[in-house]
Amino acid sequence: MRLWQAIRRSVRRKTMAVVLATTLVALLVNAAAMLVYEVGALREAQVADLLTQAEILGRASAPALAFKDNKEAAQDLAMLRARADIEHAAFYAADGSLFAVYSAPGASGGPPERAQSAAIDVDADRITLFQPIIEDRETLGTVYLRARSGLRERVVGYLGILGAVMALALAVAWLLSLWLQRAVTRPIQAVAAAAREVFERRDFSVRAEKSTEDEIGVLAEALNRMLADLEREMGERREAEGALKAADRRKDEFLATLAHELRNPLAPIRNALYIMQTARDNPAAEAEARAIIERQLQQMVRLVDDLLDVSRITTGKLALRRERVDLRAVAASALEAIEPLARARGHRLSVELPPEGIIVNADPTRLSQVFLNLLNNAVKFTDPGGRIEFHVAAQRGELVARVRDSGVGIPPGMSDEIFEMFAQADRSLERSTMGLGVGLSLARRLVELHGGTIEAKSAGAGRGSEFMVRIPIPGTEAQLPVREAAEPLVSPASAVTQGHRILLADDNQDFANSLAAVLRRMGNEVRVEHDGPAALSAAENFRPDVAFLDIGLPRMNGFDLARRLRALPVTAHSVLVAVTGWGQPADRQLAKEAGFDDYMVKPVEIARIQALLRAT
Amino acid sequence: MKRSFTRIVVALLLLAPLAATGQALEREVKAAFLFKFLSFVEWPQGAFARPDSPIALGVLGADEVLDELLRIVPGRVVQGRPITVRRLYYGEPASGLHLLFVGRAAGSALPGYAEREGLLLVAEQPGALEQGAIINFVSVDGRVRFEVAADAAERRGLRVSSRMLSVAEYVRGGKP
Repeated sequence: MRLWQAIRRSVRRKTMAVVLATTLVALLVNAAAMLVYEVGALREAQVADLLTQAEILGRASAPALAFKDNKEAAQDLAMLRARADIEHAAFYAADGSLFAVYSAPGASGGPPERAQSAAIDVDADRITLFQPIIEDRETLGTVYLRARSGLRERVVGYLGILGAVMALALAVAWLLSLWLQRAVTRPIQAVAAAAREVFERRDFSVRAEKSTEDEIGVLAEALNRMLADLEREMGERREAEGALKAADRRKDEFLATLAHELRNPLAPIRNALYIMQTARDNPAAEAEARAIIERQLQQMVRLVDDLLDVSRITTGKLALRRERVDLRAVAASALEAIEPLARARGHRLSVELPPEGIIVNADPTRLSQVFLNLLNNAVKFTDPGGRIEFHVAAQRGELVARVRDSGVGIPPGMSDEIFEMFAQADRSLERSTMGLGVGLSLARRLVELHGGTIEAKSAGAGRGSEFMVRIPIPGTEAQLPVREAAEPLVSPASAVTQGHRILLADDNQDFANSLAAVLRRMGNEVRVEHDGPAALSAAENFRPDVAFLDIGLPRMNGFDLARRLRALPVTAHSVLVAVTGWGQPADRQLAKEAGFDDYMVKPVEIARIQALLRAT
Repeated sequence: MKRSFTRIVVALLLLAPLAATGQALEREVKAAFLFKFLSFVEWPQGAFARPDSPIALGVLGADEVLDELLRIVPGRVVQGRPITVRRLYYGEPASGLHLLFVGRAAGSALPGYAEREGLLLVAEQPGALEQGAIINFVSVDGRVRFEVAADAAERRGLRVSSRMLSVAEYVRGGKP
């Protein structure tokens, strides 16, 4: 029972048991069959031989028996000396009496006194036979022969040989099973050991040794591949977890920063209001207070814009509005925005722009935003009185823009990380340079949307940094003339923005009313409605030549309203402008089909409206 | 005295059957031998009329043997032939016979049958072979044996089996 348990638990013992048992059974069956056959054949041969001997004896001694010549008969029998196996022989006369006798030297016993009827008796040791002698149908007498069969000795000798053969065969089988063990069992054991190690130590870097090309090799390989997959997946999961944690941490930091940044402008604004209330008779102080409010407001608007962009990025809603624009104009608009700040910080700004007429297919606002973000970073992270270079060039089908500064630089190993959302190179609370940490991330995303790349280089902390933007531009477009879109970027006030009849349809009353106030100040006649049907009925009497329609209007959306207006004779040729809040479907194609002439996204810039009115 | 006489009578009474038995045995043995000789002898062609013609035995001057033969022969077959036995009278020719046994009592008639073609002449007296017999019964240590004149047999066209010669007491002529 214990042996059986031991065999069951080990493949090696199993194979050995199978090999040995097979060999043993085969040998035993073979030996038994051979033994039975051999004994039978031996007996048969000996009986046949003895019968022949009796026949010959009977025939030779027939005359001696016929003529009762004992002497002659005895001499005939004496010839049996040549046959060592015959112990006793005798002739009996026809009446059954003993006639002549032969006994081998040293043989015990003797022939029986009386003849017996013809018979052959075979036992383990001896064969005894009585054979009648018949001549010419006359029974002359009987031959008696008793021979040692030697069967026992033969069987013993045979078993001895079988034993030797069996021992040899088992030894060979043993060797065979050892070979089997090496060829089959050991690879299996290696695989099993690897599997056990994986389970016990949860170590997926363990590999099973593949030593054969057979099914076991396939098994080992399959296990190894599975382990490799597991290992990789576990690694990926750990990495993903790490990334998630880092993103979460950055988000927390971002929230803290955001609170600070949003809170910061509030104090100066409140101060300015206080000044305006208390110093009404002092125009200089009032103007100063207004300037403070305007600057702080601008700062807050930028913060909120950034926030909106962050939201667009994280929800995947950031999309480009590509148009053919002059690269120089895009760069100039960014420069325009940064110049006051750079001057305030006392930086020396060195600019190198391409010649006019380099047309790129890009979103001018976003591209300008990229440059502005990089320049803003340079200005912010460079101590007052620093040097900032801005180079833009088109070379070999590529737009290459470089912003270099003599600022704080980037610590080694951070040049990729700074592009992550909410990343801050300096995480200390006392840091002097505040920001949301979305500028670079936003810039990279925008560049990527343009099909380009952005990279940061720095010789190290405190040694300045350089950002390089590369955006592919199809070469054929490089020399095409400027056609449009540069206009909205330039914003000198003009007299032709007045004298229009303008319909404003928007359910956001503050937005609609404030915009209406601005437009009226420009010298236009403005009508405000807050839902679709009201706007439609107002349009019939008011006959606007320009209409700004919110897409998300209550009761009748902007697209339907536009179609209805186009159907009215009085507004069939009016300029219709779609205005969408962010998050609404911004589909220019859809707007065009509904009959809109132009398309604007909130927050609508006054400059764009001015440009539009000038063109009308 | 009377007692001794009685003893002698008893002894004689006991011995008498013994002597009779010895004679009876010799008679039986000789008859049996004569019959057995038939198995070991080949007669020349033409000795028999047909393939199943009987082997004819004749006995001269040995009535006990004749009687014994007549007792054992009927119904027996040798070499596929039945056997006939008849008594031969003194001076009667052996015509038609294949074997003739001449008893001691008629020993003088022996030469008369010698040289006869195809006749197996058997006798039972010393020197019978010189007188023309082919087989002669002799007594050895009180047992019946026989001697054979192989040369004479050959002369008369008879072939005596070498197996029989091997048990003969003496063989004259012929192959060793």
